[in-house]
Order: sequence, then structure tokens, then C-alpha cells
Amino acid sequence: METIPENREPTTALPVERLAYSVQEAADMLGINYFTMYRLIQRQKIKTCRVLRGKLLVPRTELLQLLQTDLR
Amino acid sequence: MNYYERPTPLQEQAYTEARQQFAEQLKQFKSNCDALHNIEANLSVTANDMSRAIRQASGRIIQTDDGTQWQHDVDLTRITSVCHRHTPAGLEFAVVECLPLKSGEMNDVLTRGNDATEVLQHFARDQRQVFKVWKDDLTAQVWEHLSEKHPHQDMSIVAESFEIKLAREMSRRETLAQNQSRGIHV
Repeated sequence: METIPENREPTTALPVERLAYSVQEAADMLGINYFTMYRLIQRQKIKTCRVLRGKLLVPRTELLQLLQTDLR
Repeated sequence: MNYYERPTPLQEQAYTEARQQFAEQLKQFKSNCDALHNIEANLSVTANDMSRAIRQASGRIIQTDDGTQWQHDVDLTRITSVCHRHTPAGLEFAVVECLPLKSGEMNDVLTRGNDATEVLQHFARDQRQVFKVWKDDLTAQVWEHLSEKHPHQDMSIVAESFEIKLAREMSRRETLAQNQSRGIHV
């Protein structure tokens, strides 16, 4: 006997808002090159966290904060 | 750790793949290192150019984000310049970064002081620290890439070869790098 598929609401997957980005991704988002991004990190204009083996991650909040500061 | 062991064919292949994967970053790292070496090698020339620019006093005015106005002397890189201003205590020099962000320009004083050569030297030292941060991050990215592509395989020889390659770009000490490359041509 043929089974009637359950009538479900169409699921629309919400885009997952990432909490952090790699240095390259963060540079792309700000529209600056890698080296400038590392300079900002070294000068602590942007705080980062380190994950496995020391890879740097830039929190989204830091990018937003930099832009807000820049927009003053 | 044995630096003289030979890489396996799989490790050689992983190295080639990783070089392709990170080609753009390696290229940028090298070109920025070259720019820094150029600045370091030409400190006295730049200082002379600054003196000439000060005498001519024709540079554009740059206002930094702390409200200070500087007269532009010489470009160091695409976004950094050496500037000066007159103060009651005499001339003050600064390396200023004009960073074009998507939201607008950020003009930041990187280093400042009363001696032009010292300001340039300080800037060069700071840049070396930036390369250290970059090198460590890039090496970590290579480790991540290798562990994803070749799980359960010892790829330390490959990652270390990358690290040595980057260190060599920074220092240009080729002999040290060749001695420590553990058989992989860096």
C-alpha cells in the first residue's frame, strides 16, 4: 500500500551566523590585505583567539568593533 | 627529532599539494618580506629623502586619528608613509599608516620620535614581529590542512618544512634552512 507522505512545513534553513573567522576571511570582509590584518592583530587593534596548533581566529565582535571605532 | 630522515612519497605528495593550496599566501608572505628587506637595506637613503622632503616642505598634510597633523615626506609601502611635524621641541617624525577600510580611512601613527633613522628602525622591528605572527598562523593553517587531508599520518616533516621556508624568507639564512629541512626541498 502506498503511504502518503506526511505533510510537513517546508523547512527554510537559517544561515548560521559564525562567531569567528580566519585571518584571511576577516581581511576579505574588511577589504584589506593579509599583511595589514596581521599588523592590526600584532598591534592589538583586533583581538584574536588561537585554536589548534595556534591558528588565529578573529571573533566577529572584534570586526564589528573595529568598524564602529572607525566610523566614529 | 631526526632532521635528516627522508620524506616518504606520501609526504612529498602532501608537501606539493600544500604548496599549491597555500600558493597565494606564500607569494604574499614573500613579497611583503622583500618589501621589508628593501626598507631595512635603504634606511639611510630613506632618511636622506626625508631630509630633502622637509627642506622642500611640499608634502601633503595627513591628519591622524589622534588629531595630529603631519606633513607627508616619503612612502614606505602602499599604505605607510614617513611624515614629520614641527613641535616646540623640534622636528618630530612618524610612520603613519593610512588604512583604507570599507567604512572609511583609518590614519594611525605606528611609531614616532625625534630621530628619523630611529623611527624607521623601530618601524622595521615592529614589522618583523608582524611577520612572526603571520608565520605562526600560516604554519598552523598548514598543520590543519595536512591533518584534514591526511588523517592518522605523520605529516610533521611537511609542516616543519613549511615553517622553515617561511623562516628563511624572514631571515634569508639559507644555510640554516637547508640544514634543517629534513630532506624536503624548501
